[in-house]
Amino acid sequence: MRQRKRKTGTPLAIDLPLKGGGPAASPLGSGTVKKKRKGFLHELIHNRILFLMLLPALLFFLVNSYFPMVGVYYAFTQFDFNSGLFSAPFVGLKNFEFLWKSGTLVKLTLNTIGYNLAFIVLGNVLAIVCAILLSELRVKWFKKLTQSIMFLPYFVSFVILSVIVYNVFNYDSGFLNTLLARFGAGPVDVYNKPVVWIFLIILFYLWKNLGYSMVIYLAAITGISDEYYEAAKIDGAHIFQRIWYITVPMLKSTFVVLLLFSLGSIMKGQFDLFYQLIGNNGVLYNTTDILDTYVFRSLKVTFDIGMATAAGLYQSLFGFILIMTVNYIIRKINDDYALF
Amino acid sequence: MKKKTGRRSLVTLTTAALALSLLAGCGGNNNSGNSANGANSGTDGNKDTAAATDSTTSTAAPAETGIDTSKKVELQFYMLGDAPKDLPVIQDEINKMAQEELNATVKFNYTSWTDWDQKYKLLLSSGQAIDLIFTADWTQYQSYAKRGAFLAIDDLLPKAAPELQKFVPESMWEDVKVDGKIYTVPATYKEYVTNGFVYREDLRKKYDLPVPKDLASYEAYMDGIVKNEPDMMPMSLNSDIGNNLHYIYTELNKMIGALPYGMGVKYESPTTVYSYWGSDEQKEELKTMKRWADKGFIPKNVLNIKDTMQDPMTSGKAASMFGDNPTRYNDMKMKISTTHPEWELAYSPFGLTTGYATPVHPIHNGFAIPKSSKNPERALAFYEKLVLDKRYNQLTQYGIEGKNYTVEDGYYKLVGTSTSNGFSREGMNGWAWRNPEFMLFDKGFDGVKAIFDELDKIQKPDLFLGFAEDYSSYQAEKAALEQVEKQYLFPLEAGLVEDIDKGLETFMQKAKQAGLEKIQTEWTKQWNAYVAEKGIK
Repeated sequence: MRQRKRKTGTPLAIDLPLKGGGPAASPLGSGTVKKKRKGFLHELIHNRILFLMLLPALLFFLVNSYFPMVGVYYAFTQFDFNSGLFSAPFVGLKNFEFLWKSGTLVKLTLNTIGYNLAFIVLGNVLAIVCAILLSELRVKWFKKLTQSIMFLPYFVSFVILSVIVYNVFNYDSGFLNTLLARFGAGPVDVYNKPVVWIFLIILFYLWKNLGYSMVIYLAAITGISDEYYEAAKIDGAHIFQRIWYITVPMLKSTFVVLLLFSLGSIMKGQFDLFYQLIGNNGVLYNTTDILDTYVFRSLKVTFDIGMATAAGLYQSLFGFILIMTVNYIIRKINDDYALF
Repeated sequence: MKKKTGRRSLVTLTTAALALSLLAGCGGNNNSGNSANGANSGTDGNKDTAAATDSTTSTAAPAETGIDTSKKVELQFYMLGDAPKDLPVIQDEINKMAQEELNATVKFNYTSWTDWDQKYKLLLSSGQAIDLIFTADWTQYQSYAKRGAFLAIDDLLPKAAPELQKFVPESMWEDVKVDGKIYTVPATYKEYVTNGFVYREDLRKKYDLPVPKDLASYEAYMDGIVKNEPDMMPMSLNSDIGNNLHYIYTELNKMIGALPYGMGVKYESPTTVYSYWGSDEQKEELKTMKRWADKGFIPKNVLNIKDTMQDPMTSGKAASMFGDNPTRYNDMKMKISTTHPEWELAYSPFGLTTGYATPVHPIHNGFAIPKSSKNPERALAFYEKLVLDKRYNQLTQYGIEGKNYTVEDGYYKLVGTSTSNGFSREGMNGWAWRNPEFMLFDKGFDGVKAIFDELDKIQKPDLFLGFAEDYSSYQAEKAALEQVEKQYLFPLEAGLVEDIDKGLETFMQKAKQAGLEKIQTEWTKQWNAYVAEKGIK
């Protein structure tokens, strides 16, 4: 069966949207272009039209992503309304102090990573499962309807979600407790139970984002040529075999790419989600506080650019190291799947 | 095989592009969310510069001010809270006059009350061009001024606003000085913003409950409410436990002000500084709150309530407020009188219990010119108009006469109700530019005046607000401590923790770890220096 699959080599339908991929696709593509050995200048002149086309994207990233990096220097200075960036006094690592002063940095880092891992793993696995299920559906209107219903929560803002959650779980007049009282059970004080929120937060994250990530996998599945499946059918593969031996392996690259992207921002939590659901409730902080919310609350009190930048730098650095490591490992295992 | 690799990476690429666009989409969303939070930061700033540069030099204004008004400018004016519905109309009216007299127009911007503190901080530190911004002790005027967020206006005043300089008494200019410089224009209206119990007189009478005068009688009043009106919240509360429970409790216990870091200074003995945290006094507070929580005065999920303090009162959901100031009490009373005339609010100021009341410190309401201002002179000149020109002042305080309000027997009267009228009294939150000479009062305000008169008899000066803390040497500790406070102290102060002693111990241990001792030592040093400098005994 595997043999047959390799032989059926037709251009994939999904190749087309690549042209619309825009700036994001260009740096990734460079890996597959054949290397010229005649030096950079020759390359520049030879492919000048192509480079010209690349220029806007390059400028975009330069202006929006690289120039602002100068601001990282703020992390090492004492912010002052009077002086500019480089005339502010240099204070070394003092701005980072508040992160570990209260002894919570380790806890915060672990929380942040823990939640994000749960989001990434559960989110992707569920999205793949749903995407496969949906792609196997043959009743068109039902498929569309399901897809839309799953997609809808994506448009619900976390502010609204927080109101809904509060009205479901609040102790005195929440939906849950009213319901429990009707069935003769005692009330539950959800807002005083830190452990419950680990599951609630993950649940709400999945509820909100599942539809969106599913669509990505659905697109990838649509890109798999029907010929594979037809061939498999002729060979007598039943539906689970077709899914397991064709769909899942073909989604692997998509999964790896999405994984790498999300790993890069693993230190940046879903700020809105945590902030809106937990807000000022210190009782829950031990299990629900992530770096973003901690930093936000700290600097809400003493708004200091230096300290904010320090926190951001810590997050970025951590994310950078993580993505480099994971990418390295993936490249070791299978070169094709690595990002760069 | 080679070919296949290429194709596979193409698939990868496509998906990558898709995923990236997803990320970009998310990013975009976040950004727009943030900037919305930042109170439309970007656009206004651009408009300002555009207005400042593009506009042609039109007819110069009459040279009544000693400043150059040859170039037309648009001033960015920032106030906290929510804009009144009729603001555009008022703004147009103001601009007609300002255009002619100062060759300037003004844009009134509002932060809304939601997360105003972050927005305020962002406005000041993002470098966005702002010409006038509200200042108060509770917006950390002193510390912002100390750190150089505002322009010192000592030299600007005689040039741009000489009348205003004469109008504000010398002692007030002196009081708002930070490190010897004036950074804000104080309001001259004398009022009291000390707290008092707000309660429902109709319910009190109906169930024959005691008048809340001190902690014991207030507790008895709430007991009665819980018993007779089980569906009502006995007291209005939200997640801001520090301001709405703790500091009110300490005010009732004659603390000199809302002291940070668990410092304790009593009004009678301003030179004695002690640590309130860990003291028996604090234990007493926590025990009281625990009792209140057990009795159901404090909702179990108080830390997740996001309502304002006043809304539950005016909508009849709550039966009392632990503390609010006379003016806000009166606003609630006015609102209720139109929506539910059968309800009756009453007020008993803490001053009657504590034996003294402090009139508002000049720092409490003011307007400053941020460092980022492009037109400080014009801004100050405009502000002078706002305070001293009757047309400007009454228009921005009360709206358009005849349309928004009428004057009957010298009293202000709102046209219609507070919901139908697009500009209620002081609808622009113009506390800072109140001018006692032009002020119009509601008939209902006589009650507040009576309260003020009563408090006048026991008035003592505010000793605390002039103190400008400099926390640059313990900024990291401060940030860490505030977190510890929120996580370990707020639940205690809201009576949510079963074992007070253990909870307090954990909190103290965490606080010490965050650097409490360093902060307290440094603060005490600064406070002692302040007390010595001002000659307070």
